[in-house]
Amino acid sequence: MRLEPLELRLLRQDGPLLDQVRQALAAHGGPLRWAITAVESSPAGPVLVIEAVVVIDDAL
Amino acid sequence: MPILLVIPTGIGCDQGGYAGDALPAARLLAAASGCLITHPNVMNGAALYWSDPRIQYVEGSALNRFATGALGLRPVRRQRLGLLLDGGMEPELRQRHLQVVDGCRATLGLEIGPVITTDGPLGVRLSQGASGASWGQLERPDALLRAGEQLLAQGATAIAVVARFPDDPESGALAAYRQGSGVDGLAGAEAVISHLLSSHLGIPCAHAPALGPLALDPALDPRAAGEELGYTFLPCVLVGLSRAPQLVPLEAASPAVLADPQLLVRDQLGAVVAPAGALGGEAVLACAELGVPLITVANPCLLDVTAAALGLEALTANSYAEAAGLVLALREGLSPAALRRPLASGTA
Repeated sequence: MRLEPLELRLLRQDGPLLDQVRQALAAHGGPLRWAITAVESSPAGPVLVIEAVVVIDDAL
Repeated sequence: MPILLVIPTGIGCDQGGYAGDALPAARLLAAASGCLITHPNVMNGAALYWSDPRIQYVEGSALNRFATGALGLRPVRRQRLGLLLDGGMEPELRQRHLQVVDGCRATLGLEIGPVITTDGPLGVRLSQGASGASWGQLERPDALLRAGEQLLAQGATAIAVVARFPDDPESGALAAYRQGSGVDGLAGAEAVISHLLSSHLGIPCAHAPALGPLALDPALDPRAAGEELGYTFLPCVLVGLSRAPQLVPLEAASPAVLADPQLLVRDQLGAVVAPAGALGGEAVLACAELGVPLITVANPCLLDVTAAALGLEALTANSYAEAAGLVLALREGLSPAALRRPLASGTA
Protein backbone atom coordinates (compact mmCIF):
# COMPACT_ATOMS: atom_id res chain seq x y z
CA MET A 1 0.00 0.00 0.00
CA ARG A 2 1.23 3.48 -0.90
CA LEU A 3 -0.08 7.00 -0.41
CA GLU A 4 0.37 9.29 -3.40
CA PRO A 5 -0.22 13.04 -3.68
CA LEU A 6 -2.20 14.15 -6.69
CA GLU A 7 -3.27 17.32 -8.43
CA LEU A 8 -6.04 17.14 -11.00
CA ARG A 9 -7.70 19.63 -13.29
CA LEU A 10 -11.27 18.78 -14.18
CA LEU A 11 -13.51 20.60 -16.61
CA ARG A 12 -16.76 21.08 -14.77
CA GLN A 13 -19.76 19.42 -16.36
CA ASP A 14 -23.42 20.19 -15.67
CA GLY A 15 -24.97 18.44 -12.70
CA PRO A 16 -23.84 17.60 -9.16
CA LEU A 17 -20.16 18.16 -8.45
CA LEU A 18 -19.47 15.38 -6.00
CA ASP A 19 -19.84 12.51 -8.45
CA GLN A 20 -17.67 14.29 -11.02
CA VAL A 21 -14.84 14.69 -8.53
CA ARG A 22 -15.12 11.14 -7.18
CA GLN A 23 -15.04 9.61 -10.64
CA ALA A 24 -12.01 11.67 -11.64
CA LEU A 25 -10.12 10.65 -8.48
CA ALA A 26 -11.07 6.98 -8.70
CA ALA A 27 -9.07 6.69 -11.91
CA HIS A 28 -5.91 7.35 -9.86
CA GLY A 29 -6.52 5.32 -6.68
CA GLY A 30 -8.71 5.27 -3.60
CA PRO A 31 -9.37 8.87 -2.56
CA LEU A 32 -8.19 9.31 1.02
CA ARG A 33 -8.42 13.09 1.35
CA TRP A 34 -9.24 15.69 -1.27
CA ALA A 35 -10.50 19.22 -1.79
CA ILE A 36 -11.27 21.54 -4.65
CA THR A 37 -8.62 24.18 -4.06
CA ALA A 38 -9.36 26.53 -6.95
CA VAL A 39 -11.86 27.16 -9.72
CA GLU A 40 -10.25 28.54 -12.87
CA SER A 41 -11.96 29.90 -15.94
CA SER A 42 -11.28 28.47 -19.39
CA PRO A 43 -12.87 28.91 -22.82
CA ALA A 44 -14.58 25.54 -22.35
CA GLY A 45 -15.97 26.46 -18.92
CA PRO A 46 -14.92 26.38 -15.28
CA VAL A 47 -12.01 24.10 -14.42
CA LEU A 48 -11.86 22.57 -10.94
CA VAL A 49 -8.39 22.22 -9.43
CA ILE A 50 -8.34 19.30 -7.02
CA GLU A 51 -5.58 18.43 -4.56
CA ALA A 52 -5.69 14.95 -3.07
CA VAL A 53 -3.91 12.04 -1.49
CA VAL A 54 -4.94 8.66 -2.89
CA VAL A 55 -4.28 5.15 -1.64
CA ILE A 56 -2.71 2.75 -4.10
CA ASP A 57 -2.85 -0.91 -3.15
CA ASP A 58 0.09 -2.61 -4.89
CA ALA A 59 -1.33 -6.04 -4.03
CA LEU A 60 -4.24 -5.52 -6.42
CA MET B 1 -31.35 21.05 15.42
CA PRO B 2 -28.12 19.19 14.45
CA ILE B 3 -25.74 21.28 12.38
CA LEU B 4 -22.32 20.67 10.89
CA LEU B 5 -19.35 23.02 11.37
CA VAL B 6 -16.47 22.53 8.94
CA ILE B 7 -13.22 24.51 9.10
CA PRO B 8 -10.73 22.66 6.87
CA THR B 9 -7.31 22.15 8.35
CA GLY B 10 -4.02 23.31 6.83
CA ILE B 11 -5.37 26.17 4.72
CA GLY B 12 -4.52 29.03 7.06
CA CYS B 13 -8.01 29.99 8.19
CA ASP B 14 -7.89 33.20 10.17
CA GLN B 15 -10.18 31.53 12.70
CA GLY B 16 -9.61 27.81 13.12
CA GLY B 17 -6.25 27.68 11.38
CA TYR B 18 -4.23 27.51 14.60
CA ALA B 19 -4.45 25.68 17.94
CA GLY B 20 -8.16 24.97 18.34
CA ASP B 21 -8.87 28.66 17.96
CA ALA B 22 -12.32 28.02 16.48
CA LEU B 23 -13.43 26.52 19.79
CA PRO B 24 -15.23 29.68 20.95
CA ALA B 25 -17.14 29.73 17.65
CA ALA B 26 -17.96 26.03 18.05
CA ARG B 27 -19.27 26.56 21.57
CA LEU B 28 -21.47 29.44 20.39
CA LEU B 29 -22.83 27.42 17.46
CA ALA B 30 -23.46 24.46 19.79
CA ALA B 31 -25.51 26.71 22.05
CA ALA B 32 -27.43 28.17 19.10
CA SER B 33 -28.20 24.80 17.51
CA GLY B 34 -28.38 22.47 20.52
CA CYS B 35 -26.28 19.91 18.62
CA LEU B 36 -23.05 20.65 16.79
CA ILE B 37 -21.14 18.04 14.80
CA THR B 38 -17.58 19.09 14.08
CA HIS B 39 -14.06 17.77 13.63
CA PRO B 40 -10.81 17.71 15.64
CA ASN B 41 -9.23 20.71 13.87
CA VAL B 42 -11.97 22.88 15.35
CA MET B 43 -11.72 21.42 18.86
CA ASN B 44 -8.06 20.52 19.45
CA GLY B 45 -6.00 23.07 21.32
CA ALA B 46 -3.18 20.71 22.35
CA ALA B 47 -3.16 21.21 26.13
CA LEU B 48 -6.46 23.12 25.89
CA TYR B 49 -9.87 21.59 25.19
CA TRP B 50 -13.53 21.97 26.02
CA SER B 51 -15.95 19.15 26.53
CA ASP B 52 -19.62 19.91 25.82
CA PRO B 53 -22.32 17.23 25.50
CA ARG B 54 -23.88 19.29 22.70
CA ILE B 55 -20.73 18.89 20.57
CA GLN B 56 -20.04 15.66 18.68
CA TYR B 57 -16.31 15.21 17.90
CA VAL B 58 -15.98 13.41 14.57
CA GLU B 59 -12.75 12.91 12.63
CA GLY B 60 -12.76 14.38 9.11
CA SER B 61 -13.19 11.25 7.00
CA ALA B 62 -16.02 10.02 9.25
CA LEU B 63 -17.56 13.48 9.01
CA ASN B 64 -17.49 13.14 5.22
CA ARG B 65 -19.11 9.70 5.39
CA PHE B 66 -21.76 11.09 7.74
CA ALA B 67 -22.48 13.93 5.31
CA THR B 68 -22.78 11.55 2.36
CA GLY B 69 -25.25 9.35 4.26
CA ALA B 70 -22.96 6.35 4.70
CA LEU B 71 -22.62 6.71 8.48
CA GLY B 72 -24.83 7.62 11.39
CA LEU B 73 -23.49 8.86 14.72
CA ARG B 74 -24.59 7.43 18.04
CA PRO B 75 -23.64 9.53 21.06
CA VAL B 76 -21.99 7.49 23.82
CA ARG B 77 -21.19 8.10 27.48
CA ARG B 78 -17.57 7.04 27.06
CA GLN B 79 -15.16 5.33 24.71
CA ARG B 80 -12.40 2.90 25.60
CA LEU B 81 -9.37 4.66 24.20
CA GLY B 82 -6.50 2.82 22.60
CA LEU B 83 -3.21 4.65 22.17
CA LEU B 84 -1.13 4.05 19.06
CA LEU B 85 2.47 5.27 19.28
CA ASP B 86 4.89 5.67 16.40
CA GLY B 87 7.84 3.26 16.72
CA GLY B 88 10.03 6.09 15.47
CA MET B 89 9.61 8.15 18.63
CA GLU B 90 12.58 8.73 20.95
CA PRO B 91 12.28 7.17 24.45
CA GLU B 92 11.96 10.51 26.25
CA LEU B 93 9.24 11.79 23.91
CA ARG B 94 7.41 8.48 24.25
CA GLN B 95 7.57 8.80 28.04
CA ARG B 96 6.09 12.30 27.85
CA HIS B 97 3.09 10.91 25.99
CA LEU B 98 2.64 8.03 28.42
CA GLN B 99 2.62 10.57 31.25
CA VAL B 100 -0.20 12.44 29.50
CA VAL B 101 -2.14 9.17 29.54
CA ASP B 102 -1.47 8.82 33.26
CA GLY B 103 -2.52 12.42 33.84
CA CYS B 104 -5.78 12.02 31.93
CA ARG B 105 -6.56 8.82 33.82
CA ALA B 106 -5.81 10.34 37.21
CA THR B 107 -7.16 13.86 36.75
CA LEU B 108 -9.98 13.42 34.24
CA GLY B 109 -11.01 9.83 34.96
CA LEU B 110 -10.64 8.66 31.37
CA GLU B 111 -10.32 4.97 30.50
CA ILE B 112 -7.18 4.62 28.39
CA GLY B 113 -5.46 1.45 27.21
CA PRO B 114 -4.29 -0.70 25.54
CA VAL B 115 -1.16 0.99 24.22
CA ILE B 116 0.51 -0.33 21.06
CA THR B 117 3.71 0.79 19.36
CA THR B 118 4.05 0.38 15.59
CA ASP B 119 6.51 -2.28 14.41
CA GLY B 120 8.57 0.36 12.59
CA PRO B 121 8.82 4.15 12.22
CA LEU B 122 5.79 5.56 10.37
CA GLY B 123 7.97 7.94 8.37
CA VAL B 124 5.80 11.08 8.27
CA ARG B 125 6.69 13.49 5.45
CA LEU B 126 5.26 16.98 5.14
CA SER B 127 4.37 18.63 1.84
CA GLN B 128 2.50 21.55 0.40
CA GLY B 129 0.05 21.63 -2.50
CA ALA B 130 0.16 24.17 -5.31
CA SER B 131 -2.49 26.14 -3.43
CA GLY B 132 -0.20 26.43 -0.40
CA ALA B 133 -2.37 24.03 1.61
CA SER B 134 -0.47 21.62 3.84
CA TRP B 135 -0.45 17.94 2.93
CA GLY B 136 1.66 14.98 3.90
CA GLN B 137 2.35 11.33 3.55
CA LEU B 138 3.41 8.24 5.44
CA GLU B 139 6.17 5.93 4.33
CA ARG B 140 4.67 3.02 6.27
CA PRO B 141 0.86 3.14 6.15
CA ASP B 142 0.85 -0.66 6.55
CA ALA B 143 2.52 -0.35 9.98
CA LEU B 144 -0.12 2.16 11.08
CA LEU B 145 -2.99 -0.09 10.04
CA ARG B 146 -1.46 -3.20 11.63
CA ALA B 147 -1.13 -1.45 14.98
CA GLY B 148 -4.69 -0.12 14.68
CA GLU B 149 -6.02 -3.61 14.01
CA GLN B 150 -4.22 -4.88 17.13
CA LEU B 151 -5.81 -2.14 19.25
CA LEU B 152 -9.24 -2.96 17.87
CA ALA B 153 -8.71 -6.67 18.62
CA GLN B 154 -7.73 -5.78 22.19
CA GLY B 155 -10.97 -3.91 22.79
CA ALA B 156 -10.27 -0.29 21.92
CA THR B 157 -13.42 1.51 20.72
CA ALA B 158 -11.57 4.70 19.70
CA ILE B 159 -7.91 5.34 18.89
CA ALA B 160 -5.58 8.24 19.58
CA VAL B 161 -2.53 8.16 17.30
CA VAL B 162 0.77 9.86 18.03
CA ALA B 163 3.19 10.01 15.10
CA ARG B 164 6.71 11.44 15.21
CA PHE B 165 6.72 14.52 12.98
CA PRO B 166 9.88 16.06 11.54
CA ASP B 167 11.30 18.91 13.62
CA ASP B 168 12.16 22.05 11.71
CA PRO B 169 12.50 24.78 14.34
CA GLU B 170 14.31 27.18 12.00
CA SER B 171 11.75 27.10 9.19
CA GLY B 172 10.21 30.35 8.03
CA ALA B 173 6.80 28.68 7.73
CA LEU B 174 6.85 27.64 11.39
CA ALA B 175 7.90 31.15 12.45
CA ALA B 176 5.04 32.65 10.42
CA TYR B 177 2.56 30.19 11.96
CA ARG B 178 3.72 30.99 15.49
CA GLN B 179 3.34 34.68 14.76
CA GLY B 180 -0.16 34.29 13.39
CA SER B 181 0.33 34.69 9.66
CA GLY B 182 1.00 31.22 8.32
CA VAL B 183 -0.40 27.83 7.53
CA ASP B 184 -0.24 24.95 9.99
CA GLY B 185 2.35 22.87 8.16
CA LEU B 186 1.59 19.73 10.18
CA ALA B 187 -2.16 19.69 9.71
CA GLY B 188 -2.35 18.07 6.29
CA ALA B 189 -0.27 15.06 7.28
CA GLU B 190 -2.24 14.72 10.50
CA ALA B 191 -5.48 14.55 8.54
CA VAL B 192 -4.04 11.92 6.19
CA ILE B 193 -3.09 9.72 9.18
CA SER B 194 -6.45 9.96 10.93
CA HIS B 195 -8.41 9.56 7.67
CA LEU B 196 -6.50 6.40 6.82
CA LEU B 197 -6.96 4.81 10.22
CA SER B 198 -10.58 5.78 10.78
CA SER B 199 -11.75 4.74 7.32
CA HIS B 200 -9.91 1.40 7.65
CA LEU B 201 -11.12 0.51 11.17
CA GLY B 202 -14.53 2.21 11.26
CA ILE B 203 -14.05 3.64 14.75
CA PRO B 204 -13.30 7.19 15.94
CA CYS B 205 -9.63 8.15 15.56
CA ALA B 206 -7.69 11.37 16.01
CA HIS B 207 -4.07 12.35 15.81
CA ALA B 208 -1.52 14.29 17.85
CA PRO B 209 1.94 15.04 16.43
CA ALA B 210 5.03 14.31 18.53
CA LEU B 211 7.65 17.06 18.26
CA GLY B 212 10.65 18.30 20.15
CA PRO B 213 10.07 21.40 22.32
CA LEU B 214 10.51 24.84 20.74
CA ALA B 215 12.45 27.78 22.10
CA LEU B 216 10.37 30.51 23.72
CA ASP B 217 8.89 32.95 21.17
CA PRO B 218 8.05 36.28 22.84
CA ALA B 219 5.95 37.23 19.78
CA LEU B 220 3.80 34.09 19.92
CA ASP B 221 0.32 34.69 18.51
CA PRO B 222 -2.45 33.94 21.06
CA ARG B 223 -4.10 31.59 18.53
CA ALA B 224 -1.02 29.34 18.51
CA ALA B 225 -0.37 29.52 22.26
CA GLY B 226 -2.34 26.40 23.16
CA GLU B 227 0.36 24.32 21.51
CA GLU B 228 3.17 25.73 23.63
CA LEU B 229 1.83 25.03 27.11
CA GLY B 230 3.15 21.52 27.42
CA TYR B 231 5.34 18.84 25.91
CA THR B 232 2.65 17.13 23.84
CA PHE B 233 -0.49 17.82 21.77
CA LEU B 234 -2.24 14.76 23.19
CA PRO B 235 -4.59 15.92 26.01
CA CYS B 236 -7.22 17.46 23.71
CA VAL B 237 -7.27 14.34 21.54
CA LEU B 238 -7.87 12.03 24.50
CA VAL B 239 -10.63 14.27 25.85
CA GLY B 240 -12.29 14.66 22.44
CA LEU B 241 -12.22 10.96 21.68
CA SER B 242 -13.37 9.97 25.17
CA ARG B 243 -16.93 10.91 24.20
CA ALA B 244 -16.73 10.79 20.41
CA PRO B 245 -19.89 9.27 18.95
CA GLN B 246 -19.91 5.69 17.73
CA LEU B 247 -19.77 5.42 13.93
CA VAL B 248 -22.74 3.41 12.63
CA PRO B 249 -22.62 2.16 9.02
CA LEU B 250 -26.16 2.78 7.78
CA GLU B 251 -26.23 0.30 4.91
CA ALA B 252 -25.84 -2.66 7.29
CA ALA B 253 -27.85 -1.20 10.17
CA SER B 254 -30.79 -3.18 11.56
CA PRO B 255 -34.25 -1.58 11.88
CA ALA B 256 -33.71 -1.44 15.67
CA VAL B 257 -30.48 0.55 15.24
CA LEU B 258 -32.11 2.90 12.75
CA ALA B 259 -35.03 3.45 15.12
CA ASP B 260 -32.72 4.53 17.97
CA PRO B 261 -33.92 8.07 18.80
CA GLN B 262 -30.34 9.01 19.72
CA LEU B 263 -28.97 8.16 16.28
CA LEU B 264 -27.87 11.20 14.29
CA VAL B 265 -28.19 10.94 10.50
CA ARG B 266 -27.54 13.50 7.82
CA ASP B 267 -31.24 13.95 6.99
CA GLN B 268 -31.63 15.64 10.38
CA LEU B 269 -29.10 18.35 9.57
CA GLY B 270 -30.51 21.86 9.77
CA ALA B 271 -27.45 23.67 8.40
CA VAL B 272 -23.80 23.35 7.45
CA VAL B 273 -21.43 26.18 8.38
CA ALA B 274 -18.13 26.64 6.50
CA PRO B 275 -15.58 29.35 5.60
CA ALA B 276 -16.76 31.30 2.56
CA GLY B 277 -13.62 30.50 0.55
CA ALA B 278 -13.29 26.81 1.44
CA LEU B 279 -16.44 25.14 0.17
CA GLY B 280 -14.78 22.53 -2.04
CA GLY B 281 -14.65 19.63 0.42
CA GLU B 282 -16.72 16.48 0.44
CA ALA B 283 -18.89 17.21 3.49
CA VAL B 284 -19.94 20.67 2.36
CA LEU B 285 -20.66 19.58 -1.22
CA ALA B 286 -22.64 16.55 -0.06
CA CYS B 287 -24.78 18.69 2.24
CA ALA B 288 -25.30 21.37 -0.38
CA GLU B 289 -26.35 18.79 -2.97
CA LEU B 290 -28.85 17.38 -0.47
CA GLY B 291 -30.36 20.85 0.05
CA VAL B 292 -29.08 21.42 3.59
CA PRO B 293 -28.91 25.21 4.15
CA LEU B 294 -25.30 26.36 3.68
CA ILE B 295 -24.07 29.22 5.87
CA THR B 296 -20.79 30.69 4.64
CA VAL B 297 -18.69 32.74 7.04
CA ALA B 298 -16.12 35.40 6.20
CA ASN B 299 -13.01 33.63 7.50
CA PRO B 300 -10.04 34.47 5.26
CA CYS B 301 -7.84 31.57 4.17
CA LEU B 302 -5.54 30.53 1.31
CA LEU B 303 -8.40 29.38 -0.90
CA ASP B 304 -11.08 31.21 -2.84
CA VAL B 305 -13.49 28.39 -3.60
CA THR B 306 -16.70 30.30 -2.99
CA ALA B 307 -20.38 29.53 -3.35
CA ALA B 308 -20.47 31.65 -6.50
CA ALA B 309 -17.51 29.78 -8.03
CA LEU B 310 -19.19 26.42 -7.38
CA GLY B 311 -22.74 27.53 -8.20
CA LEU B 312 -24.06 26.88 -4.69
CA GLU B 313 -26.79 28.76 -2.84
CA ALA B 314 -25.67 30.13 0.51
CA LEU B 315 -26.62 32.34 3.42
CA THR B 316 -23.72 34.68 4.11
CA ALA B 317 -22.40 35.72 7.52
CA ASN B 318 -19.64 38.18 8.32
CA SER B 319 -18.67 36.37 11.52
CA TYR B 320 -19.38 33.21 13.48
CA ALA B 321 -21.51 35.33 15.79
CA GLU B 322 -23.68 36.26 12.82
CA ALA B 323 -23.72 32.63 11.68
CA ALA B 324 -24.99 31.64 15.15
CA GLY B 325 -27.83 34.11 14.70
CA LEU B 326 -28.71 32.52 11.37
CA VAL B 327 -28.62 29.06 12.96
CA LEU B 328 -30.94 30.26 15.70
CA ALA B 329 -33.31 31.71 13.08
CA LEU B 330 -33.40 28.42 11.19
CA ARG B 331 -33.91 26.52 14.44
CA GLU B 332 -36.87 28.75 15.27
CA GLY B 333 -38.35 28.45 11.78
CA LEU B 334 -37.65 32.09 10.93
CA SER B 335 -36.77 33.03 7.38
CA PRO B 336 -33.24 34.49 7.41
CA ALA B 337 -34.36 36.87 4.65
CA ALA B 338 -36.85 38.46 7.05
CA LEU B 339 -33.95 39.58 9.23
CA ARG B 340 -32.22 41.59 6.49
CA ARG B 341 -33.05 44.88 4.84
CA PRO B 342 -34.07 45.80 2.27
CA LEU B 343 -36.73 43.08 2.21
CA ALA B 344 -37.74 42.32 -1.35
CA SER B 345 -41.42 42.07 -2.16
CA GLY B 346 -42.53 38.47 -2.51
CA THR B 347 -45.09 39.45 -5.11
CA ALA B 348 -42.81 41.49 -7.35
